[in-house]
Amino acid sequence: MSTASTSGTANDPRCGCAEGSRLTSRRTVLRAALAAAATGVTTYAVGDVSTQVSFAAPGWNGETLVVLSLHGGFDGLSAVVPGGDGAYYAARPTIAVPRSTLLGLDQMFGLHPAMAPLVPFWKNGTFGVVHAVGQSDPTRSHFAAMEQMETAAPGSSVRTGWIDRTIGSLGTGSVLGAVGISNQQPRSFAGPAPKTTTTSLDGFSLIGPGDDRPTWHAALRRMHTGARPEVAAPATTLLSAMEDVAKLPGRTAGPANGAAYPDSDLGRALAQAAVLKKSGAPVQVIALDYGDWDMHAGLGRVDGGWMRDKLTELSSALAAFATDLGSAFGSTTLVTLSEFGRRVGENASGGLDHGHGNAVLLLGGGVVGGRVHGVWPGLGADRLVDGDLAGTTDYRSVIGEVLQKRCGAGSLGTIFPGFGGSPLGVVRAR
Amino acid sequence: MLETGRLTLARQIWSTRQLFEVVVDVWNNVLHVTNPSSEVWASRQDYDRNVVRRHAFGSFGDMLVASARHPAMLTYLDNTSSTAAQPNENYGRELLELHTLGVEAGYSEADVKNSARLLTGLTIGRDGGGTYDAGRHDGAGRSIYGFGVPPHSAADGNGWIDAYLRWLAVHPVTARRLSAKLATRFVSDTPPAALLDAMARTWVQTGGQVVPVLRTMFDSTHFWASAGQKVRTPQEDYVATLRTLGTGMESSGVGGITKIFWHVLDQGHAPMAWPAPNGYPDVAAAWTSPSLTLSRWNRHMDFAAGWYPPELRFTPALQLLPSIPSTYGALVDALGVRLTGSRLNADEKAALLQYAGRSEGSPCSSGDRWVQNNLRYLVALTLDTPSFTIR
Repeated sequence: MSTASTSGTANDPRCGCAEGSRLTSRRTVLRAALAAAATGVTTYAVGDVSTQVSFAAPGWNGETLVVLSLHGGFDGLSAVVPGGDGAYYAARPTIAVPRSTLLGLDQMFGLHPAMAPLVPFWKNGTFGVVHAVGQSDPTRSHFAAMEQMETAAPGSSVRTGWIDRTIGSLGTGSVLGAVGISNQQPRSFAGPAPKTTTTSLDGFSLIGPGDDRPTWHAALRRMHTGARPEVAAPATTLLSAMEDVAKLPGRTAGPANGAAYPDSDLGRALAQAAVLKKSGAPVQVIALDYGDWDMHAGLGRVDGGWMRDKLTELSSALAAFATDLGSAFGSTTLVTLSEFGRRVGENASGGLDHGHGNAVLLLGGGVVGGRVHGVWPGLGADRLVDGDLAGTTDYRSVIGEVLQKRCGAGSLGTIFPGFGGSPLGVVRAR
Repeated sequence: MLETGRLTLARQIWSTRQLFEVVVDVWNNVLHVTNPSSEVWASRQDYDRNVVRRHAFGSFGDMLVASARHPAMLTYLDNTSSTAAQPNENYGRELLELHTLGVEAGYSEADVKNSARLLTGLTIGRDGGGTYDAGRHDGAGRSIYGFGVPPHSAADGNGWIDAYLRWLAVHPVTARRLSAKLATRFVSDTPPAALLDAMARTWVQTGGQVVPVLRTMFDSTHFWASAGQKVRTPQEDYVATLRTLGTGMESSGVGGITKIFWHVLDQGHAPMAWPAPNGYPDVAAAWTSPSLTLSRWNRHMDFAAGWYPPELRFTPALQLLPSIPSTYGALVDALGVRLTGSRLNADEKAALLQYAGRSEGSPCSSGDRWVQNNLRYLVALTLDTPSFTIR
């Protein structure tokens, strides 16, 4: 399979420009905003008219990248199944997804039937896949692989996370520029650019003396003056973020458009991500984690078990998110990432050991969906790498294209130092 | 499972064996088995008692062997279903990466595969306990990171597995890496090389005895210079706050500790609950997020005011100090000494006085209406200071 060529994208990765006239107008707006920012007077209005809110957000074009980490080693071969490759069935005598049950995508690939909620988005071209995605260093250690993926600077001395560098280079300066819907900062957030984490926007406030909140905040700010950065930064970021979030409209509203999230941590986290996006906050990156994919044993069958349950939850949550966003879906791009894929052949436990190449799922208004992108290396014995699917597309190519075409990034030299991949055509330029 | 988590948290708060509880927590993270986790619901309690706590102050090699043969670990990392025909690499890999040498040791993927193959045969028997099933063992000769195993009979496999585990437990690379785990907890997020060298030397000389390694650490100048180096993790902040406030255990039932447990679990730091096999991170960078700061400050307020959980026996704010000093400046100083061990720094003191709307010399007394109504807020703010956040 070859890479996509029909999306009208430019080949220059530093430009990512297509659909020239629209881009020109956007750039003009952007330039004006930046110029105004230099004088310190601008506010950049974003969001639907009904929920419009103004934030000082120079450098933000309105796009939000949502990074959903599938920690534990997602088996892309069970999700986007190479049903047209006989080697897949030979390698997995008990856990393969039968061809007759696949939701047909093309001659080679079909979706696991648990992913049915995403089929409408596949059909309308907003859900797509890149297959055989990998990292340049083929480590099979979860922890080394996560570290490398989220640092995204192999072979360099850079130790910050790639989302930190993205925010730093696109920076709105808002503490809501990058938001982790979690308690812990994702590793990709490591570094100096402002970011915040929250598990819920409703209740994102301090308890304490009820009638004297500004005095309470002021005392907390004062005591952190001169404190060590690792203590002072989260404290002052929190105070600013609470003050910003208090201004957001609709932060306690329920899902829109009949969206039905699963009653689960992922469902709640994506619902919060949608609230944040719909509020018009200048959020450039939202990071979420949906783990527990380390299926060394008992992966299950197509009609029941661990994988079926996880894919059901994932797919219904993603479909609800897309539905809930409404018009904001057009300026949202969601990408799934996992540290590695899994071994092609099943083990004695009805599970899969650590592997390499993997599938990346893409969902959003600008996605070139309805197709499997990438270069399929095949599953024949001579095509495998140490028993694993080869990685023919570096994951940074996928993210880099989204950052350039959707998020307004220029050169990727800072975000992905030393990386020189080219875009595949997985998204349309804004 | 939840009982094990709650019991551990209660011990961390109220046990008189504080050093033991901290060391147990370090080993529970090294030889980590996620708790609660449905697959080990019947075995995790025993793992805590008979693997981690039994050997926490003993021999690491004994702890490692006990762990390898325990149904909780055999299930958690899947060795129970690993066979010569189809080895499962999960335990064989994490044994090297997480329990002993560490990924920086530079072993190869072939070492990982050989490790998994040598470990075949360790499984769970019909009685639910760990056992060795010779019929599953791969007795081929192999080498793992320099540990040579000749071709052997399946019956001899059990002995070779033990020899392999004990070799790993006292390998100098293991010694240094696990010394670093201890020193990261007790000394610094970046413990000095000289300290790790000394601890690793003791480790190798004593064959992996924990107490002499701890003594080497406590005898070092690095340990004594480590005050004010570490940022408290969420779990440590809970424990320290309740201990420093002198909060008493509930007089009956477990309603209060259960509520505390859910809070800590919600913050992602309940004892043993980390979802992945590598155990909790133990450095500030992993835990200093805005959302955790919010939780921390809100719990300080709850505990300082005695609002929640109501079952616990909180010390009323007015009883924290033997007497109320005669000025607001002295009051803030006294709170700092009582709750953080020393006076607050100038910025912190200014913040508290600013909140009180008083100056250093403003007179103060136990009959002062503001003090009676608001001392709990000053207590909460004292617990929110960087001086309390850093230990």
